[in-house]
Amino acid sequence: MSVSIVTYFARFFYIENNIKTFNYSIYVKCIYMYNNLQKKRQYDEEGGSRFMKIKRLIAAGLTATMVVGMLTACGGGSGDGGGSKKKGDTLTVAIWDTNQQDGLKQIMDDFTAETGIKTELQAMDWNAYWTLLEAGATGGEMPDVFWMHSNEAVKYMANDILLDLTDYVAKSEKLEMDKFPQELKDMYTWKDKVYAVPKDRDTIAMWYNKKMFDDAGIAYPDGSWTWDEFYEIAQKLTKDDGSQYGFACNPSNEQDTWMNIVYTMGGTIVTDDNKSGFDDPNTIKAMEFLDKCIKNVMPDANTMSETGTDVLFQSGKVAMISQGSWMVAGFKENDYMVENCDVTRLPKDATTGKSVSLYNGLGWSASAGTSMPDEAFQLIEWFGTKEMQEKQSELGVTMAAYDGASEAWAGGAEMYNLQAYIDAMEDTVFRPHTNSTLAWWNPMVEELKKPWNGEESMADACKNITSIMNEKIAEEDY
Amino acid sequence: MRDLANPKKGTSQERNEFVWGWIFILPTMIGLIVLNIYPIFKTIYESFFKTGDFGRGNIFIGVENYAKLFGDAEVWQALINTFKYAIVEVPFSIVISLVLAVLLNRKMKGRAVYRTIFFLPMVAAPAAIAMVWRWLFNAEFGLLNHIFGTKINWVSNPSIAIFSIAIIGIWSIIGYNMVLFISGLQEIPGDYYEAASIDGATGIKQFWHITCPLLSPTIFFVMITRVIGGLQVFDLIYMVIDKNNPALYKTQSLVYLFYQNSFVENNKGYGSTIVVLLLAIIMIITVFQMWGQKKWVHYS
Repeated sequence: MSVSIVTYFARFFYIENNIKTFNYSIYVKCIYMYNNLQKKRQYDEEGGSRFMKIKRLIAAGLTATMVVGMLTACGGGSGDGGGSKKKGDTLTVAIWDTNQQDGLKQIMDDFTAETGIKTELQAMDWNAYWTLLEAGATGGEMPDVFWMHSNEAVKYMANDILLDLTDYVAKSEKLEMDKFPQELKDMYTWKDKVYAVPKDRDTIAMWYNKKMFDDAGIAYPDGSWTWDEFYEIAQKLTKDDGSQYGFACNPSNEQDTWMNIVYTMGGTIVTDDNKSGFDDPNTIKAMEFLDKCIKNVMPDANTMSETGTDVLFQSGKVAMISQGSWMVAGFKENDYMVENCDVTRLPKDATTGKSVSLYNGLGWSASAGTSMPDEAFQLIEWFGTKEMQEKQSELGVTMAAYDGASEAWAGGAEMYNLQAYIDAMEDTVFRPHTNSTLAWWNPMVEELKKPWNGEESMADACKNITSIMNEKIAEEDY
Repeated sequence: MRDLANPKKGTSQERNEFVWGWIFILPTMIGLIVLNIYPIFKTIYESFFKTGDFGRGNIFIGVENYAKLFGDAEVWQALINTFKYAIVEVPFSIVISLVLAVLLNRKMKGRAVYRTIFFLPMVAAPAAIAMVWRWLFNAEFGLLNHIFGTKINWVSNPSIAIFSIAIIGIWSIIGYNMVLFISGLQEIPGDYYEAASIDGATGIKQFWHITCPLLSPTIFFVMITRVIGGLQVFDLIYMVIDKNNPALYKTQSLVYLFYQNSFVENNKGYGSTIVVLLLAIIMIITVFQMWGQKKWVHYS
């Protein structure tokens, strides 16, 4: 009796969550067999027959298998085999961009050939990557070497999750730290200690659809255009029947689109004394320009949010989008784009004459709890040497953090004018950040949805963002 | 049953049964305690804290999270969204799958094939389902708008997006409900139907007066689990509604808000508070359903 009630309850909770992991069928069979056994015993006399004993053994065996199966299924899901690693074991490396996997694997194989230290690369998607790191940092297994990003770097550095590389870097003979951009190095330094070696950098450029330009009789942009000329071209390319638009941008296209307009027009997102830049008149001017684009040359917010600007571009709905160099690997594979599209430098501002691109760079860091710190640093150092930075560009992985090593990357896709991204390096601004960037970055994007939908004027949105940003920055406790 | 003269000891057979019973239950109990019961208490515990990074540095703030919760318009809107979803998903899915179960319980050709087809959505991964439906509902390129020749913003119109999500929910759960109802239907002895048709009852009358009352324990079980599951909707909303979507504010559910707060904004204390609110609501609704059980469910 008690068995059946608890079984009922167990189904109640379990069927919802574990219908796929819990081997319910075997469990039910066991219960049934057990019930049958019970009934048989009531009919037979002293269950002494061998048949009964065999049935009992089978039931016991099935139970044991099921228990073991359940424990391994529930326990062994994430994170495999703990245990401490000894020297001579493999370094685990984790990244979040599958596009970069092949190139990095080659560089790592060269490392193994040179030093004999074995490495193992795991690539996953962005969300899974940060979940893995968070779980590892909270007390699980961390990979030995992994990427750091400006959004999360401070959190990891301030909590001593990363290995302190200061001494290693100082003593290294192969690393030339002066060849890396200062802001990139500063991003990954905390309280005067170095926690990551710069890996790459990326810039932004404008992609356009050559076929649409041809159909409208407009000359291809050569990178010397202004935002006002850009707007006129976008207007010409926007058809009244809604089948084609000049430009597309979502509130979440910050680093790759609208923040570049802000900086080009002389505005800023975060001021030098760590306050919100959304009350700067130039920022407001840039956002109003963006508002003009939203209302006149972009598809409606619903469409852009449902489909994504790059997909709209690749389906021939939109004539121009602005995107980062990290997208090139995927763009090389898209047949429509290879046939019809090309890239040029972002427009400049008529007043300032500048064309500013945001840039960001990842860093290679190691786990503070790794059992192979020397080997981990050797791998990080390897990634940072001039030869490997050049190789990273040649293999088309990304542009290099090392000054001057990115030329080879530009030649990686002959169909596109990737020189535009290299040229953009002439005038760059590091991706805006504070100690707890995400605390205000996400509400900022949320607030911008309102002017995109026409629920609020862009000026009001800027005012609201200013107060939210200042409030969150004041709350930072690092 | 137990020997009343000596209730403590019982016979050795009964003690043996007792031990074996507990051995069979142990795996589920361990799973329940580790994966469900302990997290419930930990979550309630964390709702009284301002959580720090990586589980360190939690600061006790008492009921401040709850005070913030009651003043937060976003949470109340999410609650309304969740109710809208549950109110549409639960009744429709139960009614449709009940009708299907009755139809598929007769002797007919290809019965097994139909049952398999209706059960298939349960086998597909929720993320895959969400991706496919996301493209079906797409206003620009989606199949639904293409077939009907309309340009309805299924998932980006704030008024109807939650109902589009409910459609996906209904579609995916029909098979599961149907299987439970079929197994419940098979326990009803056919003699009742024979007797009823001799007395001249039509199909519909038989359905209302024989099937429904005798099936009420199963309907009750399905209703409780579906209401609980419906109030916990998250994966569909997360995968179908992009964060740029204007309909997000009027579509996000309580569990979605919990995910946002706990894992995206790293504010596990407030996220836990939202979950405690959901827990309280589900418990109250289940209590009402249990009370309804006494009135309407016939156990044979």
